Amino acid sequence: MTIRTRLNLWYSIILCGVALAVVAAACYHEFVIEKRHHHHGMKSESELDSEDLIDILTWTVTPAIVLGLAGGWWLTRKALAPVSALTQAAEKIHERNLSEQLPRSGNGDELDRLTEVFNAMTARLDGSFQRIREFTLHASHELKTPLTILRGELETALHDEHSSAAQKDRLASQIDEIERLTKIVDGLTLLTKADAGQIALKCEPLRLDELVRESLADAKILASPQNIEVRLDHCDEATVAGDRHRLRQLLLNLADNAVKYNRPGGTVKFSLQRDGKFAALKISNTGAGIAAELQPRVFERFFRGDASHNNAVEGCGLGLSIAQWIVTAHRGEIYFASAPDQLTTLSVRLPLA
Amino acid sequence: MRVLVVEDEKKTASFVRKALESEGFAVDVCPRGDEALIAAGTTPFDGIVLDIMLPGRDGLSVLRQLRAQGNRTPVLLLSARGEVNERVEGLDAGADDYLPKPFVIAELVARVRALGRRGGESKATVLCVADLSLDTISHRAQRGGKFFDLTAREFRLLEFLMRSAGRICGRMSIIEKVWDYDFDPGTNLVDVYVKRLREKIDDGFEPKLLQTVRGVGYVLKA
Repeated sequence: MTIRTRLNLWYSIILCGVALAVVAAACYHEFVIEKRHHHHGMKSESELDSEDLIDILTWTVTPAIVLGLAGGWWLTRKALAPVSALTQAAEKIHERNLSEQLPRSGNGDELDRLTEVFNAMTARLDGSFQRIREFTLHASHELKTPLTILRGELETALHDEHSSAAQKDRLASQIDEIERLTKIVDGLTLLTKADAGQIALKCEPLRLDELVRESLADAKILASPQNIEVRLDHCDEATVAGDRHRLRQLLLNLADNAVKYNRPGGTVKFSLQRDGKFAALKISNTGAGIAAELQPRVFERFFRGDASHNNAVEGCGLGLSIAQWIVTAHRGEIYFASAPDQLTTLSVRLPLA
Repeated sequence: MRVLVVEDEKKTASFVRKALESEGFAVDVCPRGDEALIAAGTTPFDGIVLDIMLPGRDGLSVLRQLRAQGNRTPVLLLSARGEVNERVEGLDAGADDYLPKPFVIAELVARVRALGRRGGESKATVLCVADLSLDTISHRAQRGGKFFDLTAREFRLLEFLMRSAGRICGRMSIIEKVWDYDFDPGTNLVDVYVKRLREKIDDGFEPKLLQTVRGVGYVLKA
């Protein structure tokens, strides 16, 4: 029950109660007078008075109650309107627009004070979020220098003629790990910059179907060692306004994902269709898929599905997060669908140019 | 060949110096941007390896100033990987080449050597390494009288490797030059393509031309 309903209810109960009390008092008064007159034998006049009184009461108390209720309803509405406005404004707040402040009435009442406190709170949250972003950005930047040095030192040692074959093997394996760490740091840097709005897309009209065909060739090569078949089921001509590099990155990410999480001898299906004002891209694979309860988390950073089963799958765990960022940055949508014994599908919808 | 290395990170500067010196370069190291500008103005270097993040004056501004002064010394720019803007800005500012960090030293050395040959790059239409030849016009490759069919991507990969024959090519530079990707695709795309290419040009032939340099990349040499 809203405060407004509650206030209105209380108000009408009080109003009706008071009115009833007034009527009861009037009736009691009338009754006493009537009794006294009865004693004095002047019945006729008093009867007339009592009827008048009821009439008067009906014609004055009822409109008074109705008007009173209407007035009360209007008053609570007016008094609580800023609360509704505040609620609506607060609903629109999420982590990306924390810097926006709610408009204040400036009249210094309780609600104005509440808005002020609320704004101060979002400002503090904004500060915290920004500090986290800056921290990750600095951390990923700072990690690059030691990585460069490590890589350089290891490589120098690798080419040292005095190193034995076993030592060289160990060194090469360490370099591989550095490469992996570098990939993670690169992915994190990209995502943190995207979070901070520091990456500008260079959008131009692009033929998405051509990009899809191009990435299909790469997907076929990526899939060949595991005998995975790659098919293009449908390819409508579709022009979107997009950043060429980012869209190629997206397609390669999704293709790589479909191959990595597939079973040997499986299938990867691409399809691109025009759907109203959107280009609908679907990439499906015949892999084991992901349990329903874990599906909402596939776009999370470092999410790896069932970790114990996916140890063999190489990757930095940021691929789908990056894919999601690229799609959102192009004002599109990305969905993940998976069910046991069915195709696992990633669907992307991008607005047509 | 005398090279100026502008890098404020002591350890990085040290192994770059060592690697270049072991390949016969004379190396000067300078840790600050403003000092590098003075050094480049007074000494005729054959090449400059320039980091972007520098104290005193950042690498891009040093480069712009050099070019504004009419200094044409070839410059290899070092920057954080994946910074597309830095790369574009760097090339616009007049850099001759660009290498993302963390880089493969062997590749840095190869590129510095290439700086000296700039402009003299082979324009030949038929590339040859040992008995392998690639016609860049008909896109046909042959070895020992046997012809191979190459996909468009395989052709670009082979062309890149043959044009840099004898030089080590890191995975990132293959990705950049052959796929034109500015990002690390996080896949083993290069390795799979190289494997397929190797099946075509090396299977049944001796010596094996396309060699893996562990932890670094690939090299095509006789």
